[in-house]
Amino acid sequence: MLRALREIEGGVRLSLNVAGRLPVLRKPPVLESFLRQVYFTGVTASTGVVLRASLLGVLIIAITMDVLDADADLAVKILLWVVLREVGPLAAAMVVILRTGTAMSAELAMMRISGQTDALRRMGIESYDYLVVPRVAGVMVATAALTAYIQFLAVAGGMILSPFVIQASFTELYTKFFDLVAPVDFAYSILKSMMFGFAIALTCCYHGLNPPALTQNGVPQAVTRAVTQSAVAVLTINALFAYLIFGVLFFGLVKAVV
Amino acid sequence: MSALALRYDLRRDGLAPVSLAVPGGVTQRVRLPDAEARARLVGAVLSTRCAANEELELFGEPVRGLRAAGRGRLHDRIGVVTQAMGLISNLNAWENISLEAAYHGTQPVARIARTARDALESLGTEPSAFLARLPDEMDLFERKLVAFVRLLAKEPALALIDSLGEGLNREQAARAARFEAEYRARQPEGTLLFVDLAEEASQ
Repeated sequence: MLRALREIEGGVRLSLNVAGRLPVLRKPPVLESFLRQVYFTGVTASTGVVLRASLLGVLIIAITMDVLDADADLAVKILLWVVLREVGPLAAAMVVILRTGTAMSAELAMMRISGQTDALRRMGIESYDYLVVPRVAGVMVATAALTAYIQFLAVAGGMILSPFVIQASFTELYTKFFDLVAPVDFAYSILKSMMFGFAIALTCCYHGLNPPALTQNGVPQAVTRAVTQSAVAVLTINALFAYLIFGVLFFGLVKAVV
Repeated sequence: MSALALRYDLRRDGLAPVSLAVPGGVTQRVRLPDAEARARLVGAVLSTRCAANEELELFGEPVRGLRAAGRGRLHDRIGVVTQAMGLISNLNAWENISLEAAYHGTQPVARIARTARDALESLGTEPSAFLARLPDEMDLFERKLVAFVRLLAKEPALALIDSLGEGLNREQAARAARFEAEYRARQPEGTLLFVDLAEEASQ
């Protein structure tokens, strides 16, 4: 319990520190680290998700159609509500946790254990500035980009492949989709995915820089904690967003567009 | 006589005290009695701080009671090659060399690149392939070479090189001996301090 409270306090401190130190991205080595993070998290992950994302859309439509025996109208609504708003950001977040979160927490824990964070301090370089800020900012940007990419592939894949499994043409699905979709859907999913990226990177940086033991054994322990807590953070944020957007906003004064 | 670049005193219970005075603009070799004394001296210079039983003056300025800005100003004038300030394992040689100077903005990146290429060529290493290598792909001499070029990139008025010959074979030690001339060629007015243990130096 005490450890959990300490970790929450550490996470809050780290978030405030990161938010206050964003101008440090102007320094060339920090900017380079930020770009490297965007490349690793976004670009290198993108090739691996093409097939999975394309099949995601058609799979969800095909299963739901089969269960509900629904028409093209419902298929497009499912594509919009489930794939675009929920599954896209969640799938991107899971890819980021599994690829980037593990690598990041292991890398930082190794740096801490081998004294490299002390070496940075002796060079007058703040660990927060050089190690945390570019990673958090990079993962936020890359998660949003990866989400948009997965959404595009899933929706396009769903529309192109669905006519093979349901009684609807591509044109019909396409027209209905663009009738229903609103800018708020994109804004919602991009904002949510940026929050996912923020939470994942922050959790992984925190556990990487604070491994439970300063020995080699501390690395896998730090990675395990980082991954499990990142997943919990993502699911919590997702639930909060769903409540805010699909429930009522500002005590019922504003109703979300559905 | 030129002003002192470094003055250091360490008092220890039951052990020999350490007292150093290094004039500005010279190359001096210091042999310290034990590893603890060496770690304390290097640590004090690196952090520009001293403990209660230490006294440290850099360029005539006592570091005790200095504010962060004063410490930062002194830190910018000092370069150190030591095991305690090793290389960052996920950065290649070029990134390790440029990191400190580029982060603090003490030198433009183009100037750091020129210094790194010239120094490596002068020390008998082909720069383009070497600069792309990671620390894990280097031997001990090469890691010391990167740390030394990182020091040169900073253009420090005081350079401290800790245990340069430690762990090097005869051929590598001969190459490392050229570091002094390389520093002197770039910083004719600078102060170069080699720190070794008494028993290492006598071997």
